[in-house]
Amino acid sequence: MAAVVDLSRITFIVMREMRSPLIALLLVYSFSILGMVFIPGIKVEGETQYMSIFHAFYFMTYTATTTGFGEYPLVFSNAQRFWAIICLYASVVTWFYAVGSIVRLLQNPFFVRALSEWKFSRHVQRIQAPFVIICGFGDTGSVLTRGLSDYGMRAVIIDSDEERIKALQLRNYTVAMQGFCGDASVPKHLLEGGLRRTNCKAVIATTNSEEVNLKISALARLLNPKVGIISMSKVEVFEETLATLGGEVHVVDPFKTFAKVLAASMQNPGFYSFNNWLVRDRGASLERYITPPKGKWVICGYGRMGHEVNWVLNKYKIKTVVIDPHEPNKNDYVDKYIVGRTTAITLARAGIEDAAGILSGTNDDGHNLGILLNARYFNTKLFTIVRQNRHENEVAFRETKVDMIMQPTLVAARKILFILIAPLLKSFFRYLLDDKPGRKEEMEMVINRLREKVGDQVPHLVTIDFTRDKSKAVIDELDAGEVILLGDLTKDPRDRQRKLDLVVFVIKSGEMEIVLPPTNYEIQENDQLLFCGTSLAHRLFNATINSEYKLFYVQKGVYKPRSHLAKWVVKKMNKVGV
Amino acid sequence: MNLEKVIFGFFVVLALTLNFGFFLGEFDNPEHHNEFELFAVIVVNLIATALKFGDRSQIGAVLFATSLVADLELLAAAGFWTFAVHITGTGLTPEVMSSIMSLAGGALLANVISTVILVSETLFNRL
Repeated sequence: MAAVVDLSRITFIVMREMRSPLIALLLVYSFSILGMVFIPGIKVEGETQYMSIFHAFYFMTYTATTTGFGEYPLVFSNAQRFWAIICLYASVVTWFYAVGSIVRLLQNPFFVRALSEWKFSRHVQRIQAPFVIICGFGDTGSVLTRGLSDYGMRAVIIDSDEERIKALQLRNYTVAMQGFCGDASVPKHLLEGGLRRTNCKAVIATTNSEEVNLKISALARLLNPKVGIISMSKVEVFEETLATLGGEVHVVDPFKTFAKVLAASMQNPGFYSFNNWLVRDRGASLERYITPPKGKWVICGYGRMGHEVNWVLNKYKIKTVVIDPHEPNKNDYVDKYIVGRTTAITLARAGIEDAAGILSGTNDDGHNLGILLNARYFNTKLFTIVRQNRHENEVAFRETKVDMIMQPTLVAARKILFILIAPLLKSFFRYLLDDKPGRKEEMEMVINRLREKVGDQVPHLVTIDFTRDKSKAVIDELDAGEVILLGDLTKDPRDRQRKLDLVVFVIKSGEMEIVLPPTNYEIQENDQLLFCGTSLAHRLFNATINSEYKLFYVQKGVYKPRSHLAKWVVKKMNKVGV
Repeated sequence: MNLEKVIFGFFVVLALTLNFGFFLGEFDNPEHHNEFELFAVIVVNLIATALKFGDRSQIGAVLFATSLVADLELLAAAGFWTFAVHITGTGLTPEVMSSIMSLAGGALLANVISTVILVSETLFNRL
């Protein structure tokens, strides 16, 4: 595909701007040179000496640039000196004019834009690895980019705020993240970001504006029918439109995501800790379960979050009291609705003393913290959920020691990260949270195994594709007709008696998804596997699936003969390996 | 325990130590350098090279390359020795001897590299 930004356009701008200074320089030079050539010089042995064109050009070159090497090749006559004065002033002034034009051009905002667009699209063209386009580098975008960097995935970032793009360039990512300052909802910028390239995996719309996100998603679908689209949305009307775009579209609504997690943790005590531990939330631990109580709840602030939480609580037949300045909507089931701002008085009216839990969920961080302190004054045993709207207030919220902090931007960024790097996690959770007998015990077992295998170390969620370029040794063996068991792959390639520190979550084979697959599962080509383990386990697993010798060892317990001689000896002795 | 690695490790280290033994002594003094020691170095080195035929791993390829370098230099040293003694009849003058020892020194370095790679591979595998 040709470069999206035409280089000829920039060349054209330079040429047009430089036209008159260049002509001026040409005229001054030629006029001066001709003068120098025709003006008689000094007499040598009675003969008048004239300058050659070459010498005159040489003289002008150093004179016009104010270098001034002196009179050359002979001492000048007075007539020549007179002409040299004129040449000097004329040419120096013209030079300044020319340099000034260049500087003016370089300062022209439109030229700077064109140049940066051209540079950006050239960088994007050079990306060979799979990448995603992130539109909007706010709180969500930056957390997401950091996450992608941890997993070594490249991203192209478009944001209309110049400050944010400048900040991006100063961050220490493990892979290059290309940034561009521009409006992502302009089709041209999306194309420059590499939307039509085959290694562009997804377009992610995380701007602050719902309309812009919708427009980006629609444009992305029109310009590339195959690309994955992930759009952040908090409004249901837009979500409906997004869902009908066709192809792979994920709508990430942080409030809905949180509601799902809350519902799951009501039902399954370990889920909230498990989920937070997987997303590497600070302070999350598998040892401490957080389970919302089923007594009376007070919901302060009945916006998007209040609605979602109320809906979850209703599902579990829990009584709720809502405090909100707006008039109530009749369709919602609420036990008691108090109109007004949340203060000590309204909290007392809501019966905070005998409440089990409180949600402090307005869109103002200061107010949320205030509600929390007020409520704790009345009731110290409250289970607390607080909404943190701005990332910069992090320190204050950490100090409150609440049970659940809901930060919409963070929730959205983590959800998007999982969609990108661990798409199978969704089916894993769906399976575990299914309301069927035995599922709670299975989740408990998974958590126990993770505790034992990973413990305090940082969990790595890893998706493995059994394709030729990602797991060469496995595919080679499958081609040779061998059977490869999952249980063998999870052995330690250094000592097969031990198991790697990882827990396999899901295997996707064709359309079939096998959750918590058995060790005797036979790997097929193009299978996709999701596991969680330590960083070392990830490295060792990758080593096994890419080295025929390591794979042979974990399967058979003996070493594969490497040299021709050893192969010959092994064959003679009718053995499998050494 | 991987028997193949034991055998290969044995030959690589033997080649290095023999090479070092041959190299020891006054640089250009023929009395300090034994021709049978050179012979033994060459044989052991060639065996070490042959043991790497057919290894398709990355490290195997690098080890193969370094032991090939050692072979080449040792064979050149032996050839030069033979040439000086039997063909031109110059005998083992200090000049001839220092050329031979330079080549043997080069081979020694290649053998050191082989051993370093071997040891580090083992260490990395046991991490």
